[in-house]
Amino acid sequence: MELVTNFIPLSALDVTYLLVVGFIGGLVSGFIGSGGAFVLTPAMMSMGVPGIVAVASNICHKFPKALVGAIKRAKYGQVDVKLGIVLGISAEAGVIYGAHIQEGIKTAYGHAGSNLYVSVAFVVVLGIIGSYVLWDAWRVYRTGHADEEEKVSRLARWVQSIHIPGTMMYFKGLNARVSVLFTIPLGFATGMLAATIAVGGFIGVPAMHYVLGAPALIASASELVIAFVMGVGGTMKFAWSGLVDIRLAMIILAGSLFGIQLGAIGTTYVKPHMIKVVMGVIMVLVLVSRAIAIPVYLSELDLIEKLNPHLTEALKNISFVVLIAALAAGAAIVFASLWRGISVHRREAALAGAPSAAFAPSTVAAPMSPQLSPLGRFERFLVATDGSEYSAGAVREALSMARKCGARVHVVSVVASDAELETMGKQLLKKEFDTAQSHLESVRAQAAADGVACETHLIHGSDLHQEIVNEAERTQADLIIMGRRGRHGLARLMVGDTTVKVIGHARCSVLVVPRAAALTGRHFVLASDGSRYADAAAAAAGSLARHCQTPVTVVSVTRPVHSEERRREARHVVDRVVAFLKKEGVTAEGAVPHGLPDQMIVQTALDRQADLIVMGSHGRTGLERILLGSIVERVLNQTHCAVLVVKAA
Amino acid sequence: MTDSTVAGAGKPITRAVLYGLMSLILYFLLYLFEDSILEFTARGGWYFIAPVALAFVFSYAHGTFTGHFWDILGIKAKK
Repeated sequence: MELVTNFIPLSALDVTYLLVVGFIGGLVSGFIGSGGAFVLTPAMMSMGVPGIVAVASNICHKFPKALVGAIKRAKYGQVDVKLGIVLGISAEAGVIYGAHIQEGIKTAYGHAGSNLYVSVAFVVVLGIIGSYVLWDAWRVYRTGHADEEEKVSRLARWVQSIHIPGTMMYFKGLNARVSVLFTIPLGFATGMLAATIAVGGFIGVPAMHYVLGAPALIASASELVIAFVMGVGGTMKFAWSGLVDIRLAMIILAGSLFGIQLGAIGTTYVKPHMIKVVMGVIMVLVLVSRAIAIPVYLSELDLIEKLNPHLTEALKNISFVVLIAALAAGAAIVFASLWRGISVHRREAALAGAPSAAFAPSTVAAPMSPQLSPLGRFERFLVATDGSEYSAGAVREALSMARKCGARVHVVSVVASDAELETMGKQLLKKEFDTAQSHLESVRAQAAADGVACETHLIHGSDLHQEIVNEAERTQADLIIMGRRGRHGLARLMVGDTTVKVIGHARCSVLVVPRAAALTGRHFVLASDGSRYADAAAAAAGSLARHCQTPVTVVSVTRPVHSEERRREARHVVDRVVAFLKKEGVTAEGAVPHGLPDQMIVQTALDRQADLIVMGSHGRTGLERILLGSIVERVLNQTHCAVLVVKAA
Repeated sequence: MTDSTVAGAGKPITRAVLYGLMSLILYFLLYLFEDSILEFTARGGWYFIAPVALAFVFSYAHGTFTGHFWDILGIKAKK
């Protein structure tokens, strides 16, 4: 009965405060698997809740929240329950040991000693792991691999290659067997951190990802299982002592369940590196928060000169504000990612749902004239596919076009490999080969059903673009057809996209088909700057438009800084190309918009509801392309319709 | 097509209302019997089962409700 006096009366304001903080915490937890709870204990304490009751109530809300989050993310196929339980059990041992150490430090050095220990643990662990996670996210983003499948780290490949008889366990999420002698210390460390700073996931998620080799999404989702296991154990322990304030726990739960559902939904829209971004940002900000408080504890332990009481109070307040800011920053990134993901998805779905017609008019008897373009015969297509959703549009349109043109299709799938992977990850490589092979088989079956002559090629190499270009040369392809992965924001400026590299190196024309694009022959947009490359594109566009009876809009963009003479020149270019197209029997109109060339070309395509943009390529590669930039590349990154990049002979 | 869409949209709303009501009743009961529940769950010892069981019950009702809540607002996972 005496303990009940530990429970404070709750006002409406307190309840609202807990609901909001719970919601934000839940949102972050649903997204990165943990990290939402660390702010709740100090938040409750700031309301006057005794520390131990705050910890107990926090953990009591945590396990049902983690359960709901884990179930939600399991529906998306992101949870490895076995991995979560195995790590969770050893984490439980870590929690007990961690709490024991805490008690020991408290007895020996008092409250300030315990706080100093917690802060140092925060700074050291978060400083090392948080910085690494953030650096890794930035590296993935900078190198332009954000869209690609995550690579298993070198350390994880080594861990997976170690075979210790009697200790091996298969984990679906890793798609590998790993010795429990590796999982036990990782789980233990996760539990110890949870007992020390209330967020075990700051070790658990990076450990699963970098050490065991789980993809970031699976690591963050499986962390929810660990949090559940640890949470149940922790709640039992505290409830046994009668320390759980069930009202606080259930009020926080009310807000956090809204948040965790939303956070879990968010993971289906983002690229895996975003998990690392959110986690890294929160970890580094929490680190700053705790680092600010360290002088206070050092002063209380007389390890440094006594601090002025005002300064002590100020440092504590700043530390708490930064802690709240850490959670708010994480939540803001989750919200922004979710918002952007949903918007992009809806746009693509709308495009995919647009009524589709045949690329070529059905009245034209097949096979059409192979001489579609004066620049090259469209008799052989090379379709590059990686089996992902990003290549689906390219395969679909290639088969459709080949059926109309009577062209032969060569489908190539390149498995990325290097000497290191070949020696260390033979099983992994074999699995990738098998997956690629079965994908090629399905494309071949689809082609056969469509009556299209089709050959498939499965190759491997370290430079994907070079392998595709070589294959195009070998098969004497007239046109390479491939998909692309969407890039936004800063990634748009990055170098390193396979599609862009193929365009740069291939001798034949390249048709890039985004996944939701459909070549319906509605409208073409032809971009021209009056160069011989643009003229080649005009000739190709004219040929295609005549066969498809499709209207063409010719665009030549001038920048606001251009002189009047340059604008006159642009108008002259457009008039010349329009006249050429009309002579070819094509309905054509011209436009000379002002602005950034890539944006104006994409905008014109959007305004005209065009399904194909035709452009010439200067074929710049390497340093020249980095320095001069590439309008083609920027158009590819912004548009949702197909782009035909014509190479001048 | 239209019929199935309408029928499909009706079900989550019904379920959301059902679980929402269930969750509301649970929270109302918690508010109504605040003192007795607090006293019962804080007795310690084998009474530890009470807060654990309550947490499971609340998470089932409220968790299902919140799932449907975002669903009917159109915020769904990407397929």
